[in-house]
Amino acid sequence: MTDKQAPVPDRYSAFYWENAARGRLAVQACEECGQVQFPPNAVCESCQSQSLTARPVSGRATLYAMTVIRQAFHPAWKDSLPYVIAQVQLDDAPGIRIQTNIVQADPADLKAGDPLEVVYEQRGDVTVPQFRPTQKNGT
Amino acid sequence: MAFATRATAVVGVGYSTIHRETGVDSRPLAVTAAKQAIGDAGLTTADIDGIFEYPGQGTQIAVEMQRMLGIRDLAVFGDNSPSGPSGLAAAQNAVMAVASGACETALVFRSVTREWGQQSGKSEFPPADGPDQFLAPYGDYGAVIPSMGMRKYRRFVDFGGSEEDYGHIAVNARRWSALNDRAVLRTPITMDDYLSSRYIAEPLRLFDCDYPVTGACATVITSTERAADLRRKPVVVDAMAQGTGSRPSWSFADDLVFGGTIDCGNRLWERSSVTPQDVKVAELYDGFTHITISWVEALGLCGIGEFGDWVDGGRTIGPGGRLPLNTNGGQLAEGRLHGLSFLNEAVLQLREECGDRQVAGADVAVVANAHGPQCGAMVLTS
Ligand SMILES: [Zn+2]
Repeated sequence: MTDKQAPVPDRYSAFYWENAARGRLAVQACEECGQVQFPPNAVCESCQSQSLTARPVSGRATLYAMTVIRQAFHPAWKDSLPYVIAQVQLDDAPGIRIQTNIVQADPADLKAGDPLEVVYEQRGDVTVPQFRPTQKNGT
Repeated sequence: MAFATRATAVVGVGYSTIHRETGVDSRPLAVTAAKQAIGDAGLTTADIDGIFEYPGQGTQIAVEMQRMLGIRDLAVFGDNSPSGPSGLAAAQNAVMAVASGACETALVFRSVTREWGQQSGKSEFPPADGPDQFLAPYGDYGAVIPSMGMRKYRRFVDFGGSEEDYGHIAVNARRWSALNDRAVLRTPITMDDYLSSRYIAEPLRLFDCDYPVTGACATVITSTERAADLRRKPVVVDAMAQGTGSRPSWSFADDLVFGGTIDCGNRLWERSSVTPQDVKVAELYDGFTHITISWVEALGLCGIGEFGDWVDGGRTIGPGGRLPLNTNGGQLAEGRLHGLSFLNEAVLQLREECGDRQVAGADVAVVANAHGPQCGAMVLTS
């Protein structure tokens, strides 16, 4: 049985996965013009600066779009069916969406605009940020 | 003078047989379609001095076709990468080549096998690096299927509407394919059939997805001046455009719902001698039904978000409707020939050679391919 795939970081994305491993979420921001972008790129997509930095974010997000996967195209995900892939807007990094799973939720209870918070799943040596509905008592 | 600026026309179209066999070498199919298109134009292989194809993989490349057709040399040729607007990308390259004088007469082809792009049953996966590192770890497999599911979801959020809106595209495809001998799926389906087809990536259903086939189609493009002497009524390329949308990406674009279709549509009409109100027949990509709905709106055939009212229970787009859509059954029913067949069907409609499915008075057609960051569209007139 194949395992679920772990991300293979590169020089631009390494900060993202290193932060995740420490239980933090950060996105790529430009030191020159402040642009925030996702996925991380080699240059700022606004001013082309190469001075790019990791900007910590709170991990609070809003559900933008989702799909409930009913057919596994990778064998490792067969036992996880149905599962939710979603795009979420980070509350403190407007203008970008990141892709993720929504976990700890019945897909039927989810809708666009729902408040979410980040949680982390260990995948071998790598930590993968996922999201769940914001817990009433906070975390 | 080194460069020309001249009008272009489509003068020949051709098809291989279309079927569901697997393990087929697509090259002989491509040759069959190419020879038919060249013959349809009243030309011979010796008249072809440019070849363009999509998507430039394996043995499906322009110069391989040149060899097989025994063409001694080409003035221009090109293999459009899979990041372009599907088969129409190759036709657009041919238009540009002829318009600029890079060649006189260009052959365009796309041949595809049923296995091409197949997503189910895979056991080997490349490492989740590059853009995939933000997709694969979340179980985002099946090419654009999850992203199409999210597009459909978000369209409901932004504009309301119902699953029936999507169902009309699927039902319409079979109404037309029943009139097209070439189509692989010709049995009519009902809205109930659509609504009971299984979810793949909910809300994306099986009947939102096109039907993989083995087959090829080809197109011949030359100058309007040369076209005047040829066998068929020339179909003039009135305008063409491409579009990507801002921050182009299948997953992380600024506009998830429409991708680059709106920019492409606006650009197309700025260049055209006619308007959306003049369109008599529309051949709009239906690799997924969401793509077709996007194009109907992005091309101004109705307002943004207004497809559900406009389609009028399917009457608008069916046989005898106000704006017949995908009159060959599209890729949902004729089969996934991957883009170029939309152009060929528009040409056949404007030549009034479509028999039972002929749209009366068809003199302006609009064609569009793909979605997301790789949009292309064309206006054709007769
Ligand atoms: Zn910048």
